[in-house]
Amino acid sequence: MFEELNKGLPSIPSLGSYRRLSPIKKHEMRQGLLFISPWLLGFVLFTVLPIIASLIFSFLDLSITDGILSTPQWAGLDNYIQMFQDPQIWTASGGTIGSIWITIRFGLIALPVGILLPLGIAILMNSPYLKGSMFFRSAYYMPYIVPFVAAIFLWGGMLNPETGWINRGLLWLGLPRDMLPGWANDINWVYPAYVIMGIWGIGNAMLIMLAGLQGVPTELYDAAKVDGANIWHTFRNVTFPMISPVLFYNLVLGVVGIFQFFLVPLVVNNGTGRPGGATMFFNLYLYKTFFTFQNMSYGSAMAWLLFAMIMIVTVFLFGTARYWVYYAGEGRS
Amino acid sequence: MSKTRYLALVLALLLGLFLVACGSSDSDSADEPASTSEEAEAPAEEAAADEEMAADEEAAMEEDTAASEDMADEAMGDRVQIRWFVGLGTGTDPVQIEIQEEVVADFNASQDNIELVLEVVPFDAAKDTLSTQIASGSGPDIIGPVGWGGSNAYFGQYLDLAPYIEASGFDTSIFDPELIKFYQTEEGQVGLPFAVFPGAMYYVPAMFDEVGLAYPPQVYGEKYELDGEMVDWTWDVVTEIARRLTIDANGYTALDEEFDPEQIVQVGYEPQWQGISSIGTFYGGPSYYYTGEAQGEYEAAIPEEWIEAWRWYYDGMYGDQPFIATGPLAGAPEFGNGNPFNSGKAAMGLTQTWYTCCLGDLRDAGVEFQMGIQPISADGETHGRIDADTFRVWKGTQHPQEAFDVLAYLITTGGDKLLPTYGAMPAIAEKTDAFFEAKGADYPSVTPESWDVFIQGLAYPDIPSAESYTPNWVEGFARLETFKGLLANTPDLDFDAEVQKLSDDLTVIFNK
Repeated sequence: MFEELNKGLPSIPSLGSYRRLSPIKKHEMRQGLLFISPWLLGFVLFTVLPIIASLIFSFLDLSITDGILSTPQWAGLDNYIQMFQDPQIWTASGGTIGSIWITIRFGLIALPVGILLPLGIAILMNSPYLKGSMFFRSAYYMPYIVPFVAAIFLWGGMLNPETGWINRGLLWLGLPRDMLPGWANDINWVYPAYVIMGIWGIGNAMLIMLAGLQGVPTELYDAAKVDGANIWHTFRNVTFPMISPVLFYNLVLGVVGIFQFFLVPLVVNNGTGRPGGATMFFNLYLYKTFFTFQNMSYGSAMAWLLFAMIMIVTVFLFGTARYWVYYAGEGRS
Repeated sequence: MSKTRYLALVLALLLGLFLVACGSSDSDSADEPASTSEEAEAPAEEAAADEEMAADEEAAMEEDTAASEDMADEAMGDRVQIRWFVGLGTGTDPVQIEIQEEVVADFNASQDNIELVLEVVPFDAAKDTLSTQIASGSGPDIIGPVGWGGSNAYFGQYLDLAPYIEASGFDTSIFDPELIKFYQTEEGQVGLPFAVFPGAMYYVPAMFDEVGLAYPPQVYGEKYELDGEMVDWTWDVVTEIARRLTIDANGYTALDEEFDPEQIVQVGYEPQWQGISSIGTFYGGPSYYYTGEAQGEYEAAIPEEWIEAWRWYYDGMYGDQPFIATGPLAGAPEFGNGNPFNSGKAAMGLTQTWYTCCLGDLRDAGVEFQMGIQPISADGETHGRIDADTFRVWKGTQHPQEAFDVLAYLITTGGDKLLPTYGAMPAIAEKTDAFFEAKGADYPSVTPESWDVFIQGLAYPDIPSAESYTPNWVEGFARLETFKGLLANTPDLDFDAEVQKLSDDLTVIFNK
């Protein structure tokens, strides 16, 4: 399934094949390794070792306040067993639902918006009838370069239930005061509020989709027109298959982003889970377990669960790709 | 030089630079734990901290670091160094830092055996910094001021002071014996009383006048006059008058049939900034809420009285005759963005002395407020609450006796300067007059009888504290607050199911 990703990449030589290399090739290889060694060193120290450490931690009973000289106790699979019984992760119903379901619930709202809205805007941008397309492209992309935290603060102000522009606008439009949304302070409105904040960052996805749309050969549209296809048929049978790899890419990134959703609830609701625990997303719960509740072992186990869930969903998406993603020229349908 | 050697030299230099960069950041963190942690935590801090305040704190802390270094340079001979960690509670404001530095200088000048060194870490970074210090075996000697909540995250890390109290002959008779007991836990005598914050029922007399109600009593044991009868000042009475004091935009009270709960303009009661365990304690009495002796055996045991208290609290917000502001209402600007009593939209608010910090708007609006006694619970007892800050000694200290000597200084002599800057009521009874004089200057309309309610309140501590230790306290307390948020924000909640879920969750949390 991943073989197409590896196509075109140089393979890593084995020790045997290294011995068979010419002296010049060996020399080049040593130089190459020397050049990337600072990065490799950093990668090993700051990425590989922490990953291994977190895996080991997840089998121990370890708290941040345990002294450096303490001997942590071996916990075996206890952290994992406890995690799969943790109602704060798995409870699916009631007022206080588990963090997995909070994440999934939000994803069901945010993901379609995060895919379809940039696609719609990209289609509009790609229209030959649009005047000033360069201006609109820049305008839609510009918010993406604003630091995300700054944007969240800005949106937090705009969505303030009493003083924000949005509710003031709704009041001006005649909505009764008692019907105004409470946005981030209201259990029923907090997810839409987060989705609205997320719309700020769709510029990048829009640009990628626009690039995909512009890569569709115009002769296909001409052929469809000759065949009498209407706009929907053209989109369904020409545009969609041709940009499906781009949609697939955005979908995978979107799903991973939903599982890792963290910064917005941390900034907007101070990472407390307010209102009423509705914003205790899985990744936020993981962070709090590790650093606030100081339970390094349990936090590590949660991190590995997160990794496993992302991996499973990603593999599933790759599995479905053969049915709807069209790679031109690679014999896939 | 050949090309290869030249390349190797360049790469070696680059690698060297990289390692030096790593090395210097390490040594920075050893020298300046406060500022480095602050930077590391910056993204999280940005969320909650007021930027201006943070900048002030940072500047003040840089000065503090410099001052500490100067002091270290001037340290004479072989004085024992005692590190005082501030950040888990109050004490990080620039003005407070200045006073703390004065106290440090006074102490260092007062003797020649100990060198006291101040370490101030911003509140948001303090837990991480302290955890790291303890984890690396370089914890501070003195930690504080810190309340129950702030200290629970480090349960098991505090020194039992009893042997040092005895060895030094420290006179504990200066404190109310109940307050000494307050600091006796499974870890021993983990603190001595320093700053106390007893509770009282704050009220606005004008609102009572408006509906023709008598004011709450101001002496424990006094009765309340309701409809011409003298009755006990119970929670039932508080509820009744709170309903009469809750008014909608059309002037109807919560007891009127025409009352519109969607248009409340004034509520009768507000549990001002009280956690859900405090609400339970005030209403139902203090209690532990877990059983079991070891991990794997812990079980949540929420007292029935607390459940009743929470039901009452929920009914007060979403019942037929509401008298407490719901979460959205309390969070609205008209209700002070979460500070309803100060906004002049709540007739009564049960809270502690520390709330005098935050009544400026009410005072500036010319609204008079006074204090009454805490109500009597269904068991016939008054269950008050006392928040308390003190200093702790880390049990890993290399110099426990010297650390205790410093602690004794801070809570007695040092307290004269520290308590006013912390805005805290002294635990030493003979020092309370000065505190209330200062408070009286801040709030001239508050009568001496009202201030006296706080002194009376010292006789009603919550033992165990509403914030007393539970296994995995930080997570458990966060779960309780999530439950409170759910109650405050959710109409038509399945209350019993949520209480059961809370109990189940707490059992899991306690055993993590």
